[in-house]
Parts: sequence; structure tokens; C-alpha cells
Amino acid sequence: MLKENGIVKGFCHSVLPAVVTIALAFGVSALLLLFSSHSPIEAFSTLLTSAFGSPSRIAEVLIKTAPLMVMALGISVAFKSQVWNIGGDGQFTLGAIFAAFVALNLNLPGFIVLPVSFLAAFLGGALWGGLAGYLRAKFNANEVITTLMLNYVASYLLSWLIRYPMIDPDGHGFPQTSLLAQQYQLPIILSGTRLHVGILIALMIVLLGYLFWRSSLGFRIDLVGENEEAAKYCGINVSKTIILTMVISAGLCGVAGWGEVVGVQYRLLDNISSGYGNLAIVIALLGNLNPFGIAVSSFFFAALLVGGNTMQLMEGIPFSLITVIQGLVIVFVISRVVYTQWRDNVANRHFNRGAR
Amino acid sequence: MQTDILTVGLVSLLAGAIRMSIPILLPALGEIFTQRSGILNLGLEGIMLMGALAGFGGTFFTQNLWFGLLAAVITGITFSLIMGFLSITVKANQVIAGTALTILGTGLSTFLFREMFGIQKLPPQIESFAPLQIPFLSDIPFLGPVLFNHNIMVYLTLLLVVCSAFVLEKTPFGLQVRAVGENPRAADSKGINVTLVRYLCVMIGGAFAGLGGAFLSIGFMNTFLDGMVAGRGFIAVAVVIFARWNPYRALGAALLFGGASALQMRLQAIGVPIPHQFLLALPYVLTILVLLSVSKKAEFPAAYTLPYSRSER
Amino acid sequence: MDLAVEMREITKVFKKVAANDKVNFNLKKGSIHGLLGENGAGKTTLMNCLYGLYQPESGKIFINGKNVRIDSPQKAMSLGVGMVHQHFMLVRPMTVVENIMLGLSSKRGPFLDTDRVERELLALSKRFNLNLEPKAKIWQLSVGEQQRVEILSALYRGAEILILDEPTAVLTPNEAQELFGILRMMRNDGKSVILISHKLEEILAIVDEVTVLRDGRLVGQAQVTAETTKRDLTSMMVGRDVLFNFKHETLKTGATKLMVNHLGARNDKGLPALKEVSFSISAGEILGFAGVDGNGQKELCEVLTGLRPTTSGEICLNGKELNRSSPKTFINEGIAHIPEDRHKTGLAMNMGIARNLILKNFSQSGFSSRGLLNFRAIKKNAERLMEEYAIKANGVHTKVKDLSGGNQQKVILARELSSKPEIIIANQPTRGLDIGATEYVRQKLLEESAKGAGVLLISADLEEILQLSDRIAVLYDGQIMGILGRNASVEEIGLLMAGVRTEEVEVC
Repeated sequence: MLKENGIVKGFCHSVLPAVVTIALAFGVSALLLLFSSHSPIEAFSTLLTSAFGSPSRIAEVLIKTAPLMVMALGISVAFKSQVWNIGGDGQFTLGAIFAAFVALNLNLPGFIVLPVSFLAAFLGGALWGGLAGYLRAKFNANEVITTLMLNYVASYLLSWLIRYPMIDPDGHGFPQTSLLAQQYQLPIILSGTRLHVGILIALMIVLLGYLFWRSSLGFRIDLVGENEEAAKYCGINVSKTIILTMVISAGLCGVAGWGEVVGVQYRLLDNISSGYGNLAIVIALLGNLNPFGIAVSSFFFAALLVGGNTMQLMEGIPFSLITVIQGLVIVFVISRVVYTQWRDNVANRHFNRGAR
Repeated sequence: MQTDILTVGLVSLLAGAIRMSIPILLPALGEIFTQRSGILNLGLEGIMLMGALAGFGGTFFTQNLWFGLLAAVITGITFSLIMGFLSITVKANQVIAGTALTILGTGLSTFLFREMFGIQKLPPQIESFAPLQIPFLSDIPFLGPVLFNHNIMVYLTLLLVVCSAFVLEKTPFGLQVRAVGENPRAADSKGINVTLVRYLCVMIGGAFAGLGGAFLSIGFMNTFLDGMVAGRGFIAVAVVIFARWNPYRALGAALLFGGASALQMRLQAIGVPIPHQFLLALPYVLTILVLLSVSKKAEFPAAYTLPYSRSER
Repeated sequence: MDLAVEMREITKVFKKVAANDKVNFNLKKGSIHGLLGENGAGKTTLMNCLYGLYQPESGKIFINGKNVRIDSPQKAMSLGVGMVHQHFMLVRPMTVVENIMLGLSSKRGPFLDTDRVERELLALSKRFNLNLEPKAKIWQLSVGEQQRVEILSALYRGAEILILDEPTAVLTPNEAQELFGILRMMRNDGKSVILISHKLEEILAIVDEVTVLRDGRLVGQAQVTAETTKRDLTSMMVGRDVLFNFKHETLKTGATKLMVNHLGARNDKGLPALKEVSFSISAGEILGFAGVDGNGQKELCEVLTGLRPTTSGEICLNGKELNRSSPKTFINEGIAHIPEDRHKTGLAMNMGIARNLILKNFSQSGFSSRGLLNFRAIKKNAERLMEEYAIKANGVHTKVKDLSGGNQQKVILARELSSKPEIIIANQPTRGLDIGATEYVRQKLLEESAKGAGVLLISADLEEILQLSDRIAVLYDGQIMGILGRNASVEEIGLLMAGVRTEEVEVC
């Protein structure tokens, strides 16, 4: 991460490709809309206005930005070291469970309970992800499959908890925990909206992420991802580093779950991670695994989520279009290489013509 | 009387195990080809969802189950070409490519289903494949109802196990597939088109995964549901590793998972005092355990997940 | 005499660099033709063009006088061109017959025709004295046998022109002689052979004609006669006279630095790879390890750097026992390691030079404080070392993968030697380097030993071992067959390399 490039060059290398990628993804989805006889222009303008049309809308976007940003940052840590953590949802869920457990059972002032539940959430996510990291390091078990299977296990665990041991006693059997007391809820920072302090915390974590890649631990993780063999040769304990990577990555996903519990829902309920895990992967890749890229990308996708809901209501376009766009974004992000290959080929041919 | 109930229960459990193993076995068979050629297709889940939708849609609009299957195969192949393009031509990281395919398949299948059928109170339904009782054999006590009272897709799948094993071991194509997965440079030097073989294997994987998805929508149920594949695509990948890339062993492993699913349903039905969430989680926990037991000593194809390029060493 | 192959003005470009620049090449029918040049001269590229693996950007190829376009190895084979690559193109878990059937159409249509092919292979193997068992799996065969599988495969495909890429690099001197016997038999059978090599002796020993390449260009083509000398060919190859002998000072015995006693270790498959290995290295001494690749060299290096556990024995550095220590301890105790595979082990190819120079000590106080990296110190360090070790690059952040092989090796040297090591373990330190870089690396190793470091040099290149070593150990099947003085002859070493222990060999 030694930054020596100028701003213009940096723009051409990081921002421009991202914009082109998004444009392509939207282009393909527009075709999809045309085929199913919707007007893409209408759909996308609804998407835009409903995401940014009013302060409360923008507040909603920022509310969704926070967990996405933190989770994507977590995912990027793992991806950077070539550990494929696909289990963001499960780790988010565990974080949410741990946070709710602390907030519901620890009868102390808010300024104590909130930080403690934050740590608990990190721990919850870290346990879930650390398990997968341990299995990868010790048994060579493919972490893609283990983290994914743990997603299902986590969602059934949650489903059981909120129906039996943690169910709201006054909730008429509705599968959810009771509401957190006011003092355990994150303060609202923009009155008249639901925007809570979580977005500021998320931005701070992004800053820490920037520092992380300039630290010796970040270097170590980077090296293990770059070349495991070389890392071993340099005296690095690769197994330990992989587990640590998963702990950090999953811990951050757990923290995102904390925000959802103490900042948005104020309780535990089914499907609390609402598919943020996959989205975080898309964001991490679009943001080029860079903290600032991730911050911008997560804002963009949060807007899509908010806009997509309205689009479904107003235009009758299924929300799953947003999922399609996510998939397309990854496809185009990784297909960029084709363009560079093509450019090199052209360069070679030019050279040959010169040689003759 | 007591033994009768037990027998009936056992028969339905074993028959259920076979039935539930099919949507794991089918994609696993295809994935064996894909992985043997050196490509890890983690996008099976997405392909299966598309196959499930295509199978259902094809059947619904033509009122012919076979056209449904055809549609599922074609869709599976088409969709897998994205994986082929990303992993073979673009040489992208296969985990990410697979994730892209899963997300894309999840979104697209739901989107298209909504667009085709709208939102209705009752999901649209079709007449699914009926059980085909094999004359005489199905009359054998116990074994008959367990083995010979399934729909035609079950029998076809078992036939495909034998065919896959034969193709891999006894034909020039199988030889090429193995060579490409072990040492693509060597295969290339012998005049084998590595890219073509890999594309074919990805497409075979896609066709099988499409069938696997269709089994869920028109062989096992009679409608399409969002996310109805429920992780089976990933379980299939685990099964392939567990089976060490052998179709017969994959059959055994798939039966294990089918058994777990069937057992979970029976236990729920009898009302065993275990929370049903724990039972539902059983196959997923089993998958992790199975991976642990083999991953360390499994000999992966030497060129596993490595893209091939002639000019690089 | 008729020409079997004629290549005219072949040009092949990789990433804007011409690997072949208008090269001409003529091969006479029924002859053995040497293709000589340094590493990177473009020999293999040219032959890959003939074998259809690469398509040249311009130029023409004639086979038996007919202009042909060879766009795939299959096409090449159908024209009677076969190739035995330096790295064997064999699929290890498959049998000999399966490997040879690969890519051939079966006479039984969609089914394999194993039995018939097996019979035919046995006959062919007998005719050319190849002595192979078609049912054996490749991984069970010795390197020499694997090479014969490749030759058999080419012959079975009807090769009339056989290209061999550095065929003796992996063979013992004895095996090489056997190979030459087979090649002569093929020549007598009317076939033509191209031998790619950078070893002058073998070119002189067996070829009828030689073509020399340098920097991708044709330097000349000549008949090889009894009068042709090594020096003639070398000056063609390098463009100047090369010093064949370094001035090596006589052995100066310092205190013993590294003691290895009865060392044992297993390979990746869990089989014994090192058996009862004992030796010592003194300050200022270079101990050479000769031996054919795969006789325990890799495992020895890994054990001596803590990367592989020992099963028995002990390793002592300056009297301190290091068994079962972590790689980190080995590094901290002053064992530097120039690994066999630069790309896979020694470097992080996608990182810059500056980062690669601190791979082993980035967490130490000079380069990081309170957990954060000190970028200024890292850059300074890089600038200093790049100058000291003459690393040519655009800047300290140039990615290592964009450097030439020589400069990559210099990055490793700079990192390893700047730590002022007690012991340097150099495994194939000059493999794949051009002559300039090779000389540089050898010079550096001599300098370090003169400064008092002990050097353990592993090389498959006997010439290198003989030039640099004070004593020469020979590894065979995980054992030290003997440790010889620096005046040992090639014949003595060759016998030990082949696993033959003779009474006459004096052990010191």
C-alpha cells in the first residue's frame, strides 16, 4: 500500500474502472428490464429519487451504509490474505446474538453496556469465523464451504433462540426478543430520522482499516495472501496468521450485527442479517479491497437497497433485481483483466509492426 | 404390529434417503468432471436455482416434464458458461467467480419467477414426475418399496453414476479430463485443447447441476420456491471432495446426506423432543464434519483451481 | 544432404521483448544438431515455435522442403516433429501407456484401446533399447526412465525429428551416456535430433552440427569436428571470453559453525528423504552438495531452515542446538537461505522491491514502531541495498515480477546477505540465470565466505560445485555417499551421484 501515485493516476486506476463496472452492470439489468417490459429509465430514476429524494431517505441510506461498510472491511481483510470468508451472514448473526444477550442481561448503565456488547459482538463473530479459520489451518477444510455451512447453522441457531430461550415473554409468542431499554440503544444523530451514531463508528473503523494496512500485522496478512510459501520461508506462522485473519474479519462482521441490534432493530428477530453477507463481498471487491474504496462502494449499494425497496413498491419490479446487479458487478469486476490482456496484445502487435 | 410400524418407518426412511440424495448427487456428478479438469465451480448453487426455475417454467408452459428437463439442462449449460468464461478465459479467482454465479443465480431466478408468474396467493403448480413402480422388482418385500418405487429421474441418476465412472476411466475423453486437471501443460503438449476440455467439463457440470435443480422443482416438489436449493450446491462440492472425485463414492456420500435429510424429516414427523431447528441444521453440520475427515489427506488434482496459460510458467 | 527442417527469419515477441529476432535454423536429415546458447538466448522459444506451442509473429518454417504452418503440437506431430521438454510433460498419477495414449485417437472409437497400444509400446521400447514397463505409473519411475517415456511417446507418434530440451540437466553422467547411445541409435535409423543445451562438453561429444543463439539472435551455425574447441563455442555463445576458473583461495580453516549429526527427515509423501546425514561447515568454508535433483536436496534445505521437522539427529549452530526450532529461530540465529525456487518461495512477486527486501525483518524495530511500518526507513533500506547489489529497476517500488531473473536473484541476495549471516544455504543459486548474473552470484558467495560465513551450496551443475567448493559432498537417495576434497574428479563424483560407492574414493 505504498502510495506514490498522483491523484489523476489514482483516479484512472481505481475510480474509473469501478464506474465503468457499475455502468455495465446497470446496462445489462436495463436489458433485463426491457425484456420483461419495464422501462429501465423509469425504474432507475425511481431508484435514484427514492434513495436520495429527501433527508430521511439519505438517512436511511446511511443507516444501511454503516453495517455494509464494516462488514465489507472485514471481508476485505480475509480476501487480502486469500482466505475466502463467505460467511459474513453467519458471523453477523452471531455478533447480533452476543450483543443482544449482553444488552438484555447486563443491568448496568448504557455507557458500560454498549461497549461491552460491542466487544461481545466482535467476540461472537470472531468465534464463528475463527472456527472456520481453525478448520482451514489445521484440517485444510475449504473455508468457503465451512463458512457457508456455518451461515445456515447460525440462522437456525437464531431461529431457535428467539422462539425458545430468548423469546419476548410479553410478545404473544411472536419469534423475537423483547425490546432493548432506551439507554442501550445507540443515540440518534439527526433528529426526525432513524440515523444513529453507528455511521460515525463505522467511519472510524474504516480509518483504522487504513492504518491496519500500514501496520506490520497488515503486512504479515498481506504477505500470507500474496505467497504462503514465501511467508513460511520468512518465518511467519501461516496457520496462526490465517486464524487471526479470520478472527479479525469475522469479528468485524459481528460488529456489524451489533449495530443492527443496538442501532436499528433494538431486538433480535429472524433473518437479522438480511443478506448483507453477500453484498459485503460485492462491495469489498468493487472497492478493490481498499478501505476508502469500500466506504464509497458501501454507500452506493446501501442506496441501491433503499431505492430497490421503493422500486418494488412503486414500479412492481422485483427487489431481486438488486441481487442481479450485485452478481453482475462481481462478474464485471473480475472480467476487467480481459481488457488489460487485450490492451497488452494490441501493444505487442504494434511493436511487431514496428520491428518489421 | 410394532414391527410393522418399524418396517414401514424404515422403508420410508430409506426410500426418502435415496430420493433426497438425488439433488446432491446430480450436481456432484457433474462437479466431478469439472473438478477433475482442474476447476472448482462453487457456483453450483446458482446454476441449480436457474435449473430449478427452468425445469418448472419449461414444464408449466409446455405441460411436458421432458421439455422441462431439457430447459433445465440448456439453462444449466448456458449459465455455467459464465463460470467457464470467468475461470478459463479470464483466469479469474474461481472462488470469487463461483460466488458471483451464486449471487447472480439467486437474484435472477427470483426475478424471473416473479416476472413470469407475478405474485399470487397460491404458487403455480405442475404435475411432477410420478413414481414408476418397476414390475416384479417393486413387489419384493422391503427392498421393493425402498429401491424400485421412485420416479424416473431417480433411476436415470443412478444410471448416470455408472456412465460417469465409465467415461472418466475408460474413454479417451476421460483420460483427457484427468490429464488436463493434473498437468495441463503436458496435455497441451500432447495436442489436447486444454481450454476446450475445461469448457466441456464446466458445461457437463452445468447440465448436471441444472438437472439437480429441476429434480427439486419437478421431481421432488411441484413448484418453484425462492432459494429452494438451500445450500445443496455447496454440499455437493463437499461431497465431491469427500468422494475423492469418484462417482461411486459420490453416490455413497450423497446417500449419507440424503439419509441425514430424510432422518431429520422423520424425526420431526414423529415429534422427537429435539428442537426442529437443530434437526434442520444437521445436514450442514454433517457437511463440515465430512470435510474435516478427508481434506487433509485428499489428493486434489494437481492443477486444481489453477488457470492455464501457455506462455506462463 | 536434404534438410529435415528449415526455419527462416523467425520472430517471436513476449511482452514487447523479442525472444527470437529473425532467426534462421537448418537441420539436416539423419543428423544430431546442437542448439546452443545461454539461458534466455531464445533456444526453447525457437523450438516451441517448431513444435507449435508458440506461433511466431513472422517467419517461415519448411519441413522436408514443404512450407508449413504449425499452429498446434498436434500439427507438429502429424508432420513428424516430436519434443521432449526440459520439464517432463507427463501426468504423474497415470501409467506409461495412458500417458502415451493421451491425445491419440483410439481405434476402438469412443473407448480406449489400452491392450493394443501396450503391445505396440513393448515392441518399440525393445527396438530402441528403452527398457520400459507400460503399466508402471509415472511417479514410480526414475527421472531417466521418465525421460525415456517421453522419447517413446514421440517415437510412437511417428516422430522423424526429435527435439530434446536440456535433456542431461537432470541425469547422472552415466544416464547421460545411455541417452546419447539411444540418440545415436535413432540417428542410424534415419531420424534427426535437435539437442538444446548450454553445456559445451555434451555438444562437442555428440552433435554433428551446432547452431548458436545469443539474445534471441542467430550467431552462427557450424560443423562440429574434432578440432572444434570449447573456447570457440563459448565466445560465440557469450560474445566474449569467459573466465572459466575463479581464483579460489586455499582452504582457511576457521572454527566449526554448523554441525549436523545423523539427521533424518521425511518427504511430503511421508517417506524417508534424509537418512543419517552428518557433516559440518567451518567459518569461511564452502561445502558443495552435488547430486541429481530429488535426492534429498530440497528436504535438506528445509530441515536446515526449520521449515521441515527432523525425525532424528541434531543440528547445532555455534554450539547451540536448533532441532525443533521454528523457522523464525533459524533466521534469528543467522541462517540465511537462498531458496531453489525464487518465484514460489523466495519472493512475493506482486510486491515491490522495497517490501521484498524486508520480508524477513519487517516487524523489527528498524522498520516498524508501535505496530506501524516506518516507510521512510523501508525506502532508505531499499535504496541502499539496490545500489550495493546493483539491482536494476525503475524504483524501489517496482514490482519484483517485472524484474529480470538476475535482478530478482539479486533482491534475494541483498535481503539474505545484508543480515550478516553465520551460515548461507544456497540451493541452486544460479539456475536459470544468464552468465553475467551467474558470475555475480558466485562472486558474492565467495566474498561472504571470505568474510567468515559458512556456505552450503547445492547445485546440479557439477562445474559450479567444482569451482566454488572447498569440500564436496554427494547426496544420493537421502544419504551422503561421501565427502571429497576440492580436487575430486568428475568421474569420482559421477559414480557417487549414481549411488556407486567405490573403494578408491577417498573420503575426507
